Amino acid sequence: MEQSNTKTGQEKGLADQLYEAQQRKKRAFNTNVAISWIVLLLFLLYLFSGISISIGGIHLKTIKLDTEFIRENLAFVASGAGVTIGISLLSIALATILALLAALGRLSKFPPIYALSTFYVSLIRGTPLYLQIFFFFLALPQLGIILPGLWAGVLALGLNYGAYMSEIFRAGLSSVGKGQREAAIAIGMTQGQMMGRVVIPQALRFAIPPTGNEFIAMLKDSALVSVTGFVHELMWRATKVGRATFHNLEALIMAAVFYWFMTLIFTYFQGRLEANMGKGDR
Amino acid sequence: MSTIVKISNLDKVFGRLHVLHNLSLDVARSEVICIIGRSGSGKSTLLRCINFLEEPSAGTIEVEGIVVNAGGKGKEHRDLVHAIRLKTGMVFQEFNLFPHMSVLENVTEGPITVKGMHKKEAIEIAEMNLERVGLDEKRDEYPNRLSGGQKQRVAIARALAMEPRVMLFDEPTSALDPELIGEVLTVMKKVAKEGMTMLVVTHEMGFAREVADRVVILGEGNIVEQGSPSEIFSNPKHPQTKALIERYRTAES
Repeated sequence: MEQSNTKTGQEKGLADQLYEAQQRKKRAFNTNVAISWIVLLLFLLYLFSGISISIGGIHLKTIKLDTEFIRENLAFVASGAGVTIGISLLSIALATILALLAALGRLSKFPPIYALSTFYVSLIRGTPLYLQIFFFFLALPQLGIILPGLWAGVLALGLNYGAYMSEIFRAGLSSVGKGQREAAIAIGMTQGQMMGRVVIPQALRFAIPPTGNEFIAMLKDSALVSVTGFVHELMWRATKVGRATFHNLEALIMAAVFYWFMTLIFTYFQGRLEANMGKGDR
Repeated sequence: MSTIVKISNLDKVFGRLHVLHNLSLDVARSEVICIIGRSGSGKSTLLRCINFLEEPSAGTIEVEGIVVNAGGKGKEHRDLVHAIRLKTGMVFQEFNLFPHMSVLENVTEGPITVKGMHKKEAIEIAEMNLERVGLDEKRDEYPNRLSGGQKQRVAIARALAMEPRVMLFDEPTSALDPELIGEVLTVMKKVAKEGMTMLVVTHEMGFAREVADRVVILGEGNIVEQGSPSEIFSNPKHPQTKALIERYRTAES
C-alpha cells in the first residue's frame, strides 16, 4: 500500500515536472512573440516619426506626418468608427437571418425552396460585393426604388455575407447528430418543434464563433459602403478630409489605425467567445 | 390480460435488405418482453417500427387501439403516428440527451413543447421522475457533467415524463462501461415493477432472466422462438436460440 503510494507520488512528480517544462517553453515563446511585436510596432512608428538620423554619412529619412492636421481632424474621423460598427452590426444581423434561412432551404426536400436557396447563394457569390453595393445604391433608383445610402449598404453587405455564411450554418445544422432528431421525434415533437427546440439552438452554438469572424471581416468590408457618399463611416470621413486638403496620407493612416484597433479588440472577444463555446455541453 | 401493442405482419426493407419479414407480436399490458438476437437480426428495427422512427414497409402497428397501417401518407397518417408516439417512450443506446438543456429542462421539454403543459406543472412531473431514477439532485447539471449511467437514467426520466403506456428500450446499456450498467438496470427493474409495459432489446441475459415475462428470440427478421425466461434459458429448442444462449454463457463465464 505504502509502496504503491510512493510510486504514484513519484510518477505524479515527473508528470508535473514535464508539464511545467512544457508550460515554461510555451510562456517563453509567447513572451518572445510579444517582444517582437513591440519591436515591429516601434519600427512602424519610427517610419512615420519624421526623425532623421545620420550614421557615418548615411542619411536615414523617415516619413513626416502633418500632426497639426491629424489633431484637427481626429474627432471628425473617429466619429466614423461608431457608424462603421453600427453598419456592421445591422448587416451581420441581416446576414445571420439570411444565412440560416438559406441553410435551412438547402436541407429542404421541396425542390423550389432548395432551388431558391442555391440560386441566391450562387448569384451573390458569383458577383462582386463592390458591384452589389453600387447596384442597390445606383441601379435601383433607375427602377424607381430609392434607398438611403445606409440601407443600400446594409442590404448589400447583409445579402452578400448571408450567402457566404449559409455554409457556416449548414455545417452547424449538420453537426447536430441524427440521434438528437430521433430523440425529439420520439417524445412526439413535430418537425418544426424538432428544428426550433433541438436542432437550430445547437446549430447556432456551433455557428456563433465563426459568425464572430465574419463580423470582423464585415467591419473592414463596410468601408466599401463609403462609395455611396451618403454613409459617413470611417472610410468616407478619411477620404473626405484627406482629399479636401491633400492630406490623404495622414487621413488614411488615421482610418487604418481605427480599423486595426477595432479588429484587435473584436478579435480578442471573439477568441474568448470561441474558447467558451468550445467547452460546450457535448 | 388485454393486449396493448399488436404488431401484425410487419415487413421492413432497407434497399435490398429484407430486415423484418412478416413478423407478428402481441404484447400484453404490463408485460416485460426482452428481445434478443444476433446483431443484424432486426431487433432495433422492430422497436423503431413501433414508434415509426422507421416507417414499416408493410403490416400494421396497433398501440392501445390506435391502428396505423404501413405506407400511409397525409395528415391523417401523421396524426395517427403522432398519437402512437405519445403513447410510447423510447430510450436509446446513445442516450441522446439534449446537450444544450439542463437535466431538468431535458425532462420538462416534452411535456411543455409537445403537450403544451404549464411550466410549473411540467417541473413537478420532471422532479418526480428524476426522483424515480434517483437523480433529483442533478436537476441543474448539464448532460456533459454526467456519467453514462446517469445520462441514461435522465433519458429514462425524460421518456417517463411524457407518461407513456409503453416503454421501448433500444440496447439501453450497450454504450455503458460495465460498472455503470447496474444502476440503469436497477431503474428499469423498478419501472417494470410499477407495471409499465416494456419492450427491451438487450444483451443483458441476467436482466432478461430476472425481469422479463417473456423472451423473444429474433433471427433473420422474424421470431424464431419465444417463451418464459425459464423455458428459453433452460430448455431452448431452436438451434439459433441454443447457439445464442451458449454464446452468452461463454461470454459471462
